Amino acid sequence: MVIPIPKIEVQDLNVYFEKNHALKNVDINIEEKEITAIIGPSGCGKSTFIRCVNRMNDLVLGCTVKGSVTVDGKDIYGKGVDAVEVRKRIGMVFQRPNPFPKSIFENIAYAPRLHGFVDEEGKHHSYNKQQLKEVVEWSLKRAALWEEVSDRLDKSAYNLSGGQQQRLCIARALAIKPEIILFDEPCSALDPIATAKIEDLLIDLKKDYTVLIVTHNMQQAARVADRTAYFYLGELIEFGETKQIFERPEKDLTEQYITGRMG
Amino acid sequence: MNRNDKQTIIFGLLGACMVIVVLTLIIILGSIIVNGIPMLSWDFLTRSPEIDDTGAQTEGGIWGPLVGTFYLMMLVLGFAIPVGVLGTIFLVEYLGKYSWNRILWIVINNLAGVPSIVYGLLGVALFVGYLEFGLSLIAAGLTLGLMVLPVTMVATREALEAVPQSLRDASIALGATRWQTMRHHTIPYSMSGVLTGIILSMSRAAGETAPILVTGVVASAAIPNSLTDSFQAMPYYIYILVTQTANVDRAYAVAWGAALVLVGLVVGMNLVAIVIRKRYRKKYKW
Repeated sequence: MVIPIPKIEVQDLNVYFEKNHALKNVDINIEEKEITAIIGPSGCGKSTFIRCVNRMNDLVLGCTVKGSVTVDGKDIYGKGVDAVEVRKRIGMVFQRPNPFPKSIFENIAYAPRLHGFVDEEGKHHSYNKQQLKEVVEWSLKRAALWEEVSDRLDKSAYNLSGGQQQRLCIARALAIKPEIILFDEPCSALDPIATAKIEDLLIDLKKDYTVLIVTHNMQQAARVADRTAYFYLGELIEFGETKQIFERPEKDLTEQYITGRMG
Repeated sequence: MNRNDKQTIIFGLLGACMVIVVLTLIIILGSIIVNGIPMLSWDFLTRSPEIDDTGAQTEGGIWGPLVGTFYLMMLVLGFAIPVGVLGTIFLVEYLGKYSWNRILWIVINNLAGVPSIVYGLLGVALFVGYLEFGLSLIAAGLTLGLMVLPVTMVATREALEAVPQSLRDASIALGATRWQTMRHHTIPYSMSGVLTGIILSMSRAAGETAPILVTGVVASAAIPNSLTDSFQAMPYYIYILVTQTANVDRAYAVAWGAALVLVGLVVGMNLVAIVIRKRYRKKYKW
């Protein structure tokens, strides 16, 4: 029997902001093509954790990351690893939709134009106009937004509704052809209908991508996630299959949170 | 006294203040326009000041001072503004999170309020004396540059900080470098504010008298041929005219004409700034 290698392997991860110990000895394995939800009360380190996976914390002054985060067998915090290269392969979607103040097309095309692509022989190319159009169309289709915007790609992204903007941001992340996508409370600024659409999309994306989602909304975790991790005060308290976490939590702290007695 | 009466009294007071403010503006602009317009002619704009038979420099036009002021503005645009804008971009975008940065900006904000003659003094000591430029166009231009540097920097910083952090995050998360993020996003998005600051700085440089008074402006100077020549300038020429003792009527008339042109120049630049700002606002809206 082949033991599958986890897509992301986090070992003994510690994060400090100045003297504040934000994450403590976190060990967790994220499986490929699953949705893993990170839940926990405010300030528990959920966002800090997810931002370690694409090295977004590097930009925070006074932030120190210790331990290892291994993606596809390679430590992204290892010596000589370029954080920019790491981010090229991992998509991220933020709390509030943050499209660039440009057209819908330009929003999606930005990263592909920046990075180009690598063909099967490992040669690096720039996208030509036609290929760029194809990438934009593919990304928008994959993010379930194409039919709503195909006739106005040249219009400002800010004319879209909040939910559409968030799907645009998902499409923009897909356009870099990542294997992992990080969602940092993607629905916290959206209404229930827009939230439902994003959740459907998440479940659909799971077929092709490894998804990590931070959420405040426990029902959301229960609805979409295969596995759920509960963080409290910077520690990973419990991690397991979503069903088990919600129905038979092993730790008291988890149960208190799940049942609404805390947080 | 019930609350409606109170409101009536307060509104009356506010209204009176408003009338004073608006009237002041109308009087200032009105008197410049009314007194200045009779002087305007092609000759007035294209002839340099000449001396009449009493020895007063009230004949001719304002060409020499106009050229001098234009040169000064170009020097400010060429030296101080690029350094100020680019330096501020680095300070804000790369070093903005350090705590010493905040102290630095308190200093810069205060420098923006330092009286212009103090910059004049500095210019005399540094450019005229120490660097041996003498009383010259370059010394005056650099002095004005020093003076507007804080203004440029504060405007640039405000423009950069108006760009939401979430847009920088978006770009970084897509695998752009910090420089790419600045070049493709932060700088273009903040351009309207930066350009407004640049034009504001240039119009301040155009209007200042004290710093150039001590660094190289000369009433009878020829059109400068090199950076080390002395020069004439609009605000200084107005000063000369107003302090003239002979042929006072003519001197005041010319001064109003020169004032109208100078104010027109500054207002014109501000209009350009408004147009640019509107265009960029339309292009990059969030």
